Amino acid sequence: MSDVAETVRDFILTRYLPGESPENLRNDTPLRTSGILDSVATLGLVSFLEEQYEIEIEAHETDIDNFDRIADIEAFVERKRAAR
Amino acid sequence: MVEALSRQTGGHPFADPQLAVPDRAGLGTPEASVDLELDTQQQDLQRAAIDFARASLGGSRVQADRDETFDREGWRACASFGVMGMAIPQEYGGLGLGLTSLLAVMEGLGYGTRDQGLLFSLNAHLWTNSIPILLYGTEEQRRRYLPGLTDGSLIGANGASEPDAGSDIFSMRTRATRDGDHYVLNGTKTFVTNAPVADLVVAYATIDPKLGATGITGFIIERGAPGMTVSRCLDKMGLRTSPMAELIFDDCRIPASNRLGREGRGVQVFETSMEWERGCILATCLGVMRRQLETCIAHARSRKQFGKPIGKFQSVANKIVDMKVRLDACRPLVYRIGRLKDQNRPAVQEAAIAKLQVSDCFVKSSLDAIQIFGGYGYMTEQEIERDLRDAVGSTIYSGTNEIQRNIVAASLGL
Repeated sequence: MSDVAETVRDFILTRYLPGESPENLRNDTPLRTSGILDSVATLGLVSFLEEQYEIEIEAHETDIDNFDRIADIEAFVERKRAAR
Repeated sequence: MVEALSRQTGGHPFADPQLAVPDRAGLGTPEASVDLELDTQQQDLQRAAIDFARASLGGSRVQADRDETFDREGWRACASFGVMGMAIPQEYGGLGLGLTSLLAVMEGLGYGTRDQGLLFSLNAHLWTNSIPILLYGTEEQRRRYLPGLTDGSLIGANGASEPDAGSDIFSMRTRATRDGDHYVLNGTKTFVTNAPVADLVVAYATIDPKLGATGITGFIIERGAPGMTVSRCLDKMGLRTSPMAELIFDDCRIPASNRLGREGRGVQVFETSMEWERGCILATCLGVMRRQLETCIAHARSRKQFGKPIGKFQSVANKIVDMKVRLDACRPLVYRIGRLKDQNRPAVQEAAIAKLQVSDCFVKSSLDAIQIFGGYGYMTEQEIERDLRDAVGSTIYSGTNEIQRNIVAASLGL
């Protein structure tokens, strides 16, 4: 499993889902479309990813295509890192 | 003000010789009490602020409150005194003092003047306009705007709330569309303090409603920007000498260089300004609460009914005790914010707690003051009832107290 996926999972659990079991937050669990993360929480996640991976994320890149599932976020971050 | 700072008069800033009483119980009179929140220089600053407020912002405000008159001369006087620049670095025209020092001055101003509306306008200018530009502006923006905001020649305002976006502020609909080297804004902002007199507005708009909070972007808009108009002035219950109106953006074109912070990061700019505002806006109210307390003590000692001072009746004395307890409990909450920000530390939870608690206490103490003065407290000419009208706003602005509870709950992981 990728480091990015685990890092994102840990961040979401710690910041937004305290007390939730990690097994319940899978790579394919819908986050935005299910309401687990609203847009304010997404912004927090975006800031975290920028700092953690030294990437820049534009506003239009924060839509559900890139930020609905951990798997999507992982793929997005890897693309960003590769493009640096 | 430099001369005032160098004066070493000694004694607590709030020491009032007319209130001198023997300290029989050893609990500390205002003259003898030690201020654990402020160091000696900060106390000197506060004393200077009190003297300035009495001299330059003094007098009755009954008519000004009735007529909703904004005190421009008072604004300029505050600028000359240095208030607007206290927390701004010297390179931008400020004094570069810490936040705790500025809070000490704000408390002193609240104590020394009856024009809480003017101080409310000052608060809005500082926390939601100057501070966001300082923290999120480009160097060019800082150099262009902070000197004017600091010397008082520019009055700042903040446009965030909308008719359908109050507590749910991030559901705002004002739209910003990129058009070459400009953004075009369309929408309406309401409850904009200082709007009728503002030279500079920090406003927030979304570049795409579908993005939600991640689309909100901050902008700096100058008076006279094509397409921005000040719409109907808003008549308020209290703080009536602080002008408020709606702002209409109708194809308002502003240079892209006036974007404040990154595209889509307006929430961070807004939340930072709210962190500062919530934590600091009630420093002036501490001064009012101190003045209320002293006024009520003096009244309770001098006003006689049934052959004795009304302060000898427990029902009156207990109210004054409660006012004292509230004030003593509230001051550390506000000054905690000063110390945290002076150390560049976050204060989100602490700011919400301060705003929630101090505002509730301010309302209660204002009610008690009216009750202690009885019929006279209800009359406008005594300028006691106005404190209550001003205080009620404090439970609403900067985010309602219900929202403050939500913020604290979230910070506790609930």
